[in-house]
Amino acid sequence: MIKDNYAIVGIGSTPQGKVNDRTTMSFYLEACRNAIQDAGLTKDDIDGLILYRQFPPIAGEEETASYDVAHLLGLSPTMLSQEANCARTHLYHAIAAIEAGLCKHVLVCYADNTRLSSRSASHVMKDGYVFGQFAVAGEYAMAAQRGMHEFGTGPETWAEIAVAQRQWAQLNPAAYMYGQPMTHEDYFNTRYITEPLRIADCCLLSDGGRAYVVTTAERAKDLPHPVVTVMGMGQHNPSTNINQSDWMTGPTGAKKAGSTALNMAGISLEDVDACQLYDCFTYTVEMTLQDLGFFEPGQCGDWIRETGIGPGGKMPINTSGGQLSEAYFMGLTPFTEAVLQLMGRAGTHQLGPETRTKVPEIILTTDNGAILQTNSCAILRRN
Amino acid sequence: MEYNKPLPHPNADNKPFWDACRLHELRFQKCRQCGLVRWPAAFICPDCHSDQSEWIAVSGRGKVYSFTVYHQVFHPGFEQDVPYVTASIELEEGPRLLSNVVNCPPGEVYCEMPVKVIWEDVTPEVSLPKFEQAG
Repeated sequence: MIKDNYAIVGIGSTPQGKVNDRTTMSFYLEACRNAIQDAGLTKDDIDGLILYRQFPPIAGEEETASYDVAHLLGLSPTMLSQEANCARTHLYHAIAAIEAGLCKHVLVCYADNTRLSSRSASHVMKDGYVFGQFAVAGEYAMAAQRGMHEFGTGPETWAEIAVAQRQWAQLNPAAYMYGQPMTHEDYFNTRYITEPLRIADCCLLSDGGRAYVVTTAERAKDLPHPVVTVMGMGQHNPSTNINQSDWMTGPTGAKKAGSTALNMAGISLEDVDACQLYDCFTYTVEMTLQDLGFFEPGQCGDWIRETGIGPGGKMPINTSGGQLSEAYFMGLTPFTEAVLQLMGRAGTHQLGPETRTKVPEIILTTDNGAILQTNSCAILRRN
Repeated sequence: MEYNKPLPHPNADNKPFWDACRLHELRFQKCRQCGLVRWPAAFICPDCHSDQSEWIAVSGRGKVYSFTVYHQVFHPGFEQDVPYVTASIELEEGPRLLSNVVNCPPGEVYCEMPVKVIWEDVTPEVSLPKFEQAG
C-alpha cells in the first residue's frame, strides 16, 4: 500500500544558475548534505542513494558515479543506483525499496556544472547528426510542429506558458530570470532556435544541484517539517524514438502516468490545487496538461486565459519559474518545488494570499525523459 | 571543398542500409514472419520478435510526417546551411526515416507534403538519402 504511506522529508539546494569555479561533484555533495540536514537526519540514516543521469564530465573532472558520490558523502548505502539515461524512475525505485523493507531513508539527487562545459554532441554518434539533427530542442520542435498540424497549437499558446512562468520567476530571487520580466511581445521577439521553438520555449542550462529524502510517513512524524506524503504515483513510457514516434501529439506517457497516479490517490483533477510540471520546452507543458485531461486537444491557450496559471491564477503552474525561468535540475525542479510549497516554505513565491492563490493541499508533479519517451507523475499532499 | 559534416558510422545492424545507399537504393528490413518493414535496423522485429528478415528495396516515395527548421548552428558543418529542414519522412512502405527536405524553401515545407528520395554523394564512399517535393 503506497497511498500516503511515504513522505518527502527534506530538500537540498545549492547556489544555482551561473556559478563559477565549482565542480559537478561539489554540487552533488552540497545538495545531498543539505537534504540530509534539512530532513533532520544524519548521514548514517541514509541507506539508499539514487542519482539522476550523469553527463560526461568537463575536462579535469572525474565522473560523478554513484559510488564516488557516496564515498565523498561518507555513505555506504544498502542500495546504490544511477540512471544511465532519462527513464525517470527514481521515486518508484525509492519507494519500492522502502516498501520492500530494503531501505529506510532514500536520498535522490541531480547536479551539474553544465554552464561551464561545452558539451557538443560529439561524445556519442547518432545518425541524426548526419542530417543536422542536433539537440533535444530540434527533436521536440518536430513534435511541436506536428501538434500545430494536428490540433492547431502554436506560439500563441506557448507564449502563455512562457510568460506565466516568467511572472512566477519575478517572485523568486533564486530564479535565473529574476529581474528579467517578459511580455507576450518580448516572447515573439526572441529568436528561433529550432523552429517552431524559440529560445523562450527552451529550458535553461544551470549550474547547481537539488536533492530530496524520502522515508515512511510514520517516520516523517518525528522529523522537523510538515508531513508531505506521496498520495499517488504513476509511470508510463511510450519509449518510441521521436523520429518514428506516434506520440508526438499525444497521448504521451503523461496520460497513463497521470491517470494511474490520480486513481491511486483516489482524486480527480478538480482536487488538484497546483501543478509542477516537467518543462524542458513549453510544448511539453501543453502536452502534459492536455494528456492529464485539463482540456481537449488544441484548447490549451483558451484554457490558460480562462483559468490563469501565473500569480493570481486558479491553477498555478511551475511556481518557482520552472525550468524555463528558474533553473534546470531535471525532474527535481518541479518535484522539490511541489514539496516546498506544501510545506509552506516557498518564501516570496509561496502559494496562498500573498500570491493571490489558494493555499495548496494537493500538488500534481511530473517528470519526463528523452523526447516524450518516458513520463512519471506523483501527487503530493500536505497531511 | 572537403565535406565537413558528420558521416554515418555503419554498425552490424544497419550496414546493409548504408551499403545500399551507396548504390542509390533505399532498403529496409522486412520481417519474414509478420511482414513489418522496420526502421531503425534491429536484430528482431519489434512486433513479433522474429529474427528472420530480408532487406527489401522501397519506392523512395513518402510524405513529411513532421519537420524542424534549424536556425541555430550546432555544428560548424551546417553553418552555411541554416535555416535548413530536418524531417521525419513517412515512406509508403511504413517506416519513418529522419532526413532533410531539400530544394525547397523551409517556409514552404508542410506536414503531409509528398516527397521522393534523391541522392547526395557526399564522399566517394558515402551517399545520403535526402528528400524533395514530389510532383
